[in-house]
Amino acid sequence: MSDETVNIEINGEPLKARKGQMVIEVADDAGIRIPRFCYHKKLSVAANCRMCLVELEKAPKPMPACATPVGEGMKVYTQSPKALSAQKNTMEFLLINHPLDCPICDQGGECELQDLALGFGRGVSRYTEGKRVVSDPDLGPLISTDMTRCIHCTRCVRFTEEVAGYKELGATGRGEQMRIGTYIEQTVDHELSGNVIDLCPVGALNNKPFRFRGRAWEMTQHAQVSPHDPVGSNLWAHVLRGEFLRAVPRDNESINETWIADRDRYSNEGIYSEERVTTPLLRGKDGLQPVSWSEALEVAAKTLSDVIREHGADQLGALAAPGASVEEHFLFQALVRGLGSNNLDHRLGQVDFRSDGAEGHYPWFGITLEEIESLDGAMVIGSSLRKEAPMLAHRVRKAALNGTRVGLVNPAHYSYQFPTSGHLVRHGAELVTAAAEVVVALSEQLKASVPEEVQGLVKNVEPGAEARAIAEGLAAGESRWVMLGQLARSHPNWSELRALGLAAAGMANARFGVLSDGGNSAGAALAGVLPHRGPGAQAVKDAGLNAHEMFVSPRQAYLLLDCEPARDAWDSAAARDAMAGADKVIALASFMNEDLRQQADIVLPVGVYAESFGTRVNGEGRWQSSQGTVQPPGEARPAWKILRALGNVLELDGFEQMDPEEVLRDARAAIGEPGPGEENLDGVELAQPARPKGLWRLGEMPIYAVDALVRRSEPLQQTRDGRAAEARLAPADAEQLNVNDGDAVRVSLGNRGCRLLARIDTALPKGSVAVPVGLAETEGLGPRHGGVTVERI
Amino acid sequence: MRFLRSYAKSLLLWELLLGMRLTLRHFFSPKVTIRYPEEKTPKSPRYRGMLVLRRYPSGEERCIACKLCEAVCPALAITIDSEMREDGTRRTTRYDIDAFKCIYCGFCEEACPVDAIVASRFTEFHFEERGQQIMTKDVMLAMGDKLEPQIAADRAIENQYR
Ligand code: SF4
Ligand code: SF4
Ligand code: SF4
Ligand code: FES
Repeated sequence: MSDETVNIEINGEPLKARKGQMVIEVADDAGIRIPRFCYHKKLSVAANCRMCLVELEKAPKPMPACATPVGEGMKVYTQSPKALSAQKNTMEFLLINHPLDCPICDQGGECELQDLALGFGRGVSRYTEGKRVVSDPDLGPLISTDMTRCIHCTRCVRFTEEVAGYKELGATGRGEQMRIGTYIEQTVDHELSGNVIDLCPVGALNNKPFRFRGRAWEMTQHAQVSPHDPVGSNLWAHVLRGEFLRAVPRDNESINETWIADRDRYSNEGIYSEERVTTPLLRGKDGLQPVSWSEALEVAAKTLSDVIREHGADQLGALAAPGASVEEHFLFQALVRGLGSNNLDHRLGQVDFRSDGAEGHYPWFGITLEEIESLDGAMVIGSSLRKEAPMLAHRVRKAALNGTRVGLVNPAHYSYQFPTSGHLVRHGAELVTAAAEVVVALSEQLKASVPEEVQGLVKNVEPGAEARAIAEGLAAGESRWVMLGQLARSHPNWSELRALGLAAAGMANARFGVLSDGGNSAGAALAGVLPHRGPGAQAVKDAGLNAHEMFVSPRQAYLLLDCEPARDAWDSAAARDAMAGADKVIALASFMNEDLRQQADIVLPVGVYAESFGTRVNGEGRWQSSQGTVQPPGEARPAWKILRALGNVLELDGFEQMDPEEVLRDARAAIGEPGPGEENLDGVELAQPARPKGLWRLGEMPIYAVDALVRRSEPLQQTRDGRAAEARLAPADAEQLNVNDGDAVRVSLGNRGCRLLARIDTALPKGSVAVPVGLAETEGLGPRHGGVTVERI
Repeated sequence: MRFLRSYAKSLLLWELLLGMRLTLRHFFSPKVTIRYPEEKTPKSPRYRGMLVLRRYPSGEERCIACKLCEAVCPALAITIDSEMREDGTRRTTRYDIDAFKCIYCGFCEEACPVDAIVASRFTEFHFEERGQQIMTKDVMLAMGDKLEPQIAADRAIENQYR
């Protein structure tokens, strides 16, 4: 769009507009409201509803404001008798086939058609003939359909095509016969699909789990921040009589624009799961028994001090979920450090900690989300971006469509709905070599020498065509970005991958970033939930054990903050054994699970994200606080309160805060302003990766298994992504193992194993099997990545 | 002269006689006392007594949980929870009217698109314990069933004017 300005006049008001802008945009900016249905600022112009007709001087007929570009000297009248009569007649046509459904329609009260019908509809319909009735397609567990109400604005169709990038919905037929649906009978599975609910101006597409449960006018709206990924999408929580009924996007151009991922939208359903812990529990003769808070806290404090007296502080291991808030992380580390232990971590999904000392102060994207859109070249290593952080993937897609050349290096051919400069897919054990190929190609491209530190990794590496293409893409232009995803972070050769990523970034003069787990790993790192760094990334004396070491060399006692080690830990088998073998397990948990039932000695019920004040630091380093909007159920309390009370009972210093804002103040004071810190390779020992025997397990974290809350959200679990308990095999391996699609197979690792259904997936390279982590079916199986055997049963 | 007239009036208790005349007139006029509960005053078809919930002749409850009555109620007397019933229809799981808050304005009846909540002619109800004034869905449906013939007849008359 050019910067040239033109002068136009709307309703007599002189306005300046950029050339090429549509009349409706100029009117919106000037606060002049033109009725519309199909126009949406984030979608292409379709101009098919005709509600926005306005009168133009010199034009013989009314024109659609959404599809009429401004011109010098243009005079527009939005309220003239001619415009009004055009708008009213359009409304009459729209209502011909629209049912009189408002009383049973969930859109009632927040319906654009209802609102505009009030202004532009007739009191009494002149239409007495029969109305059209349309059958409803089943779009899956998230979106309800009442297609008789559809007004064919095609916003939903344009969304799936333009924003989601995957044409799941479409319009078939013409005129009266036009139908919106999936072309063939199927569900809508895209991870952003829920946004069509907000887009649909009528009640044709609605929130299915929320169906019939509340009205827009009776709910209160509270600002929230999603805790499920480092994007930190902004939400509105809609609450009716103390119940968090639904989440909708809160516009924030610099984070989530006007969208949210389905994970953010539907995770609230998990809050009311049967598995919520609602009273403090203490292990008695026959399992866990409810007790009072004072007793639970007394016993917990005594247990902790007993363990430390008997076995030493070193025997206490403490693990926190990366989605907990800064306040909770800060008090958690203060408690554990106060007890004398440095065995403290939030990085349950990681195994390779060799680069700990050389990493920045907190994991971040290295760039803001908005800046991604203006990049020239980018490379993402080890990330199923769309599943790990859907809103980040959306930004990258937008950039790619805009001309950014994005190259990908992955252990499987993940689907991206955008053009890439190259997608280098290698067997998991060869991921390091793949990254090395790009580095070599890049050094040739830029005539730069490969940094000293990674020379060992690039020896004898000959870049292939794909690697060269990626390097070329990354070398293009001025602004560049290299990011490592969650699969890279959980890789046994994280240090090597990181080193190569850094080398590439260094040579290409690109920004370097990391996509970490959970909604607040940046906050956790800053608050000091790390074995080697305290608050504000201050190095501690006598670094403790990291998350992996705590399991492989088991401790006598564990303190858990809302994590489920058998599902979250990198080596879930070691984690489960360590918990089972521990003398004492004290869990601050929001949800019960089988392992806790058997292993925990004390369970203290905590609130989830919407249930207490909490601050989270997203992947851009942006601090976002939100208030508690609903009460934790039963006796459950916000985790910061419990930690504070525990600190008091243990008579530790620094637990005098009266409210969470005060905790935040203390945390900020302790953290200071460390900045993102420097990423380097100082003192990191790099090694050549080894290739294990058997098939390589690619332990992906499914999108709807990332944390305890999401795992309890029934609607999400019923989606295709939620039913992910499958072992995905490359066709060649399947043939070799004589496995057909849908056969039951046994995936085993040593003496552990699990039964899964096999799925043949051409996206996987030969020699790999994708066995997801984080699911009930695969918990306790063992390492996320490495050799496994698969056999047909 | 004026003095004489006023003197005569007070001497002859003229004003008292005027009062007595009124008394005498009422003595002979027809009586209006209703011997409640043996006798009852007639009520208009628009009478706004106890609120009840109606059913269709098929036995299906009319209310579709649109919550318009709840929204319009000026005394905030109505509380509704709703959900999708097994058969996919929109239904209430709770429909409470607090009879102490209700001011019997009849707005809910006006708002209801399906004539589910109606004000009946029934006024003879009482509560013995605190809490009973919250009239639940069951109570109101039962009362609706009982009063249906009268309610239907009243609505038939009313419909002429709608
Ligand atoms: S879509 Fe809007 S106008 Fe149509 S029935 Fe629903 S609330 Fe009424
Ligand atoms: S379903 Fe909704 S968004 Fe899609 S075309 Fe119909 S009215 Fe528009
Ligand atoms: S009684 Fe009538 S107005 Fe009230 S919720 Fe039911 S259908 Fe709606
Ligand atoms: S908004 Fe302009 S035609 Fe639909």
